Amino acid sequence: MKAPLETHPKPEAWQIGRLRLRPRLVFAMAVNSLRLRISRTLLTVLTIATASAFLIFLLTLPAQADPAEREGWLLMLGLCLLVSMAGVLNTMLMSITQRYREIGTIKCLGALDGFVLGSVMVEAALLGLVGAGLGLLAGTLLALGLGVAEFGGAAFAHLRFDGFAWKAGLALLTGLLLTTLGAALPAWIASKMPPMEAMRGEK
Amino acid sequence: MDRFENAADGGDARREMSPSDPAASAAVFLEGDARADTTVMTREVVMEYRMGMAVIRALDGIDLTIPTGEYLSIMGPSGSGKTTLFNVIGGLAKPTAGSVFIDEIDVAQLDAGELAWLRCRKIGYIFQSYNIVKVMTALENVTLPMLFAGVPPDEARDRGADILRRVGLADRLLHTPRELSGGQQQRVAIARAFANRPAIILADEPTANLDLRTGEEIIHLMKEMNREQGVTVICSTHDHKMLDISDRIVWMKDGRIDKLARREDVAIEVSHMAEK
Repeated sequence: MKAPLETHPKPEAWQIGRLRLRPRLVFAMAVNSLRLRISRTLLTVLTIATASAFLIFLLTLPAQADPAEREGWLLMLGLCLLVSMAGVLNTMLMSITQRYREIGTIKCLGALDGFVLGSVMVEAALLGLVGAGLGLLAGTLLALGLGVAEFGGAAFAHLRFDGFAWKAGLALLTGLLLTTLGAALPAWIASKMPPMEAMRGEK
Repeated sequence: MDRFENAADGGDARREMSPSDPAASAAVFLEGDARADTTVMTREVVMEYRMGMAVIRALDGIDLTIPTGEYLSIMGPSGSGKTTLFNVIGGLAKPTAGSVFIDEIDVAQLDAGELAWLRCRKIGYIFQSYNIVKVMTALENVTLPMLFAGVPPDEARDRGADILRRVGLADRLLHTPRELSGGQQQRVAIARAFANRPAIILADEPTANLDLRTGEEIIHLMKEMNREQGVTVICSTHDHKMLDISDRIVWMKDGRIDKLARREDVAIEVSHMAEK
């Protein structure tokens, strides 16, 4: 005598619950994760800040009289920007793939796919915004400092601070996009992974 | 191969247990009548893995009925399918064919949110390699499943501290895994598994990475929790010390149930062997 193989309807007496996505918990998890890995967080913030600082420096660079010299500056700064962008992407990718096992574990404890994806993306976005914000500040101060050192008060006339809001917005957006793009693919893969597979990933 | 029908064993299960033992009430069910007192039931469970061109059958028709409150040990050589069975029962992997019922619910029917609820509220997992979240303290590890379940943070912290005290880690609440020994980490894992007062504890070789004495302590801790809370414990193991405290023992071989026995019967077998 065997129980039939077909799937049985759920008995009414036994109510199964369903876990919901809790946005506050997602946010708390992301902040906590940044706090717990503080050295890595600071390093990533620094990399993003560098990229953002280069960008804003580039955008506010005064229009030089000598077009050749200006081109040289632009090329060098552009390359620096590319290198720091690659650094950010790599850091984000590594920081998620290293966490597969932890992700598998928290899924066993009841984390939804959306929770995993959400907390990692919020974490990446926070890193991106804070890093880019600091970089924006540093890049602007650098541009001002160098300008004043070279031209004195005249620097303010030369530096292209017109449309600064737009330029600052671009720098912030770049930081945000870099971190979230770097995190998106590994985070999505990790969130879809069956818990056991995720836990085996890092062993 | 001689396949044991689990029900044959369940049918005449009259244990010598005190009436207060939650398993005692579950001991007298018959097959087909296995309802309220059955926590886990698997029917014809088959699990196949694809490895390159080859298909490996890790589970080959597992029928198992586990009554509420039972302490069941799964033994067998590595590669016999213990861990796969553990994953399938725990809703961590989907079987290729067959069904797994937990409290009469067919696990295959559950959507993602319900499955997460099952993992969070009904099942507690204990792993061979502890799987404590490395960057979190013992207390944070224990509170996490409660937060997932929607317990308010303050209450979760209090309850987490209580459970950690219960497993003997009162003075280690704020230590990270790096500052804890293997046995202490496994205690954290046990506390975490019991955090949401689950119906089932699934332990996959919980003592394999521990020395003999610590392993014994962990086994006894699990047995105590099993007795106190009436939790069903399913524990895969290589460890013969586990046999002493198990209600029943399943031996697996090549993805099938090779043998299934109650502890008393095993004890008789062993004494027979000793006589010879």
